[in-house]
Amino acid sequence: MSNLGFALEGAWKVLLAGLILGAGLPAVFALGIRSMAFGAGGDAEVDHAAPHPVGRLVAYVLFAVVVLVALLGITYIVASGFGKTISFEHVYPAIVDK
Amino acid sequence: MTETTVILALVVITALGFDFTNGFHDTANAMATSIATGALRPKVAVALSGILNLIGAFLSVEVALTVSNAVVRIQNSDGTPKEALTSDGGTALLLIVLAGLVGSIVWNLFTWLLGLPSSSSHALFGGLVGATVAGLGWAGVNWNGDGSKLDGVIGKVILPALMSPVIAGLVAAVGTWLIYRITVGVAARFTDNGFRWGQIGSASLVSLAHGTNDAQKTMGVITLALIASGEWTDTTNIPFWVKASCALAIALGTYLGGWRIIRTLGKGLVEIAPPQGMAAESSSAAVILVSSHLGFALSTTHVATGSILGSGVGKSGAQVRWRVAGRMVAAWLITLPSAAVVGALMWFIGDLIGGLGGALVIFLILLAAAGYMYWRSRRTPVDHSNVNDEWDEPAERREPAGTAV
Repeated sequence: MSNLGFALEGAWKVLLAGLILGAGLPAVFALGIRSMAFGAGGDAEVDHAAPHPVGRLVAYVLFAVVVLVALLGITYIVASGFGKTISFEHVYPAIVDK
Repeated sequence: MTETTVILALVVITALGFDFTNGFHDTANAMATSIATGALRPKVAVALSGILNLIGAFLSVEVALTVSNAVVRIQNSDGTPKEALTSDGGTALLLIVLAGLVGSIVWNLFTWLLGLPSSSSHALFGGLVGATVAGLGWAGVNWNGDGSKLDGVIGKVILPALMSPVIAGLVAAVGTWLIYRITVGVAARFTDNGFRWGQIGSASLVSLAHGTNDAQKTMGVITLALIASGEWTDTTNIPFWVKASCALAIALGTYLGGWRIIRTLGKGLVEIAPPQGMAAESSSAAVILVSSHLGFALSTTHVATGSILGSGVGKSGAQVRWRVAGRMVAAWLITLPSAAVVGALMWFIGDLIGGLGGALVIFLILLAAAGYMYWRSRRTPVDHSNVNDEWDEPAERREPAGTAV
């Protein structure tokens, strides 16, 4: 296979994973913000609706998801420094040798 | 002290100098958007990025000794230098590396002077390719690899450079569009505050990844020089002082902050709002980490620029200054050949004079060029105080009516 083939093969994988992590996570974060505003009510939203306490709870869950995935990213950087990598073979992430 | 030891010392100093320019050239990749949106004060942003680069550089335990193998043939596959280049105590190899590094630094400083975010890895590879062509001829360059994996100048440098801004731009555009769709109806005052936090987090990830990726390259080059001159023999480890000094150099460079480039990326391309900033940095962080996970290393600079452009495309009604983008792309295209030309020229000068004298002369040329560009930069200084000033596109030059003959 030529260099172009290898590069295209790598590129679409990067694009796919990039879309999930790089665009999906910010979208989850945005949902969290939206939910937070729903929870706060009043002038947090342009329609000045009444506060809905459940919104705040949902927001914290969504933020926690984002933070967890970001921590996974940091773990990956640190692990690769020690010659390890993160495997998703068993769905949940595990640190394994490269 | 022998002649070789002095040349080796020059190579180490020049390599650390390159690492330093690598740091301040790339501060913008992580922090330009956070500075532009006011998520972080400029000084705080560069300090945070510097610290994360320092940590990142120490984390890069993996040996990047074979970094030059991607583009030139001056090393064996186990990292030891080619025997033909070490027969005279290593000076042949040291001169190639020194000339290459001088080419990389000169080009990095020149693009900084113009405020253009060009890739430091391209500059490094370009300088090495130029010096190798001059020293060993065209056959010394690994253009296309051997077909078994992504390799060579085309596979490791040119193709990724063409693809990375497009990938990062797409991801950032989708992210920006989604964020704005999701937060419709939420007051801007409320969203801006939240997204500033998201932005700080994602920009920090980019800084950390940068430290692990880029400092390694200089560590590899210095260790190669040490092996060539017989000062080090272990090809599976690098001396601790090399790691510490490279980590410090890139962190100090990052802390100094390439304000000219930060200004171009943060204010010149797109007027960035916090949601866009977060989309851009998340896209950069994700693309950089995923690609290095897949062994498909991309230039941080190209990814970051693509992401920022994408965040402008994804927000309806946002203005993207395509003229500024065009200048950047032009700079990317000529980075490799330009650094190569300087690297080759330096090798010819060094070789003509020969030995220690030649190495000293090209080192002095580097100092003179760096001093001149620093002096030029003082005419229109950009620093933390004016980095966020309004971007005034220079008016298009029109011929006054009636001057045509």
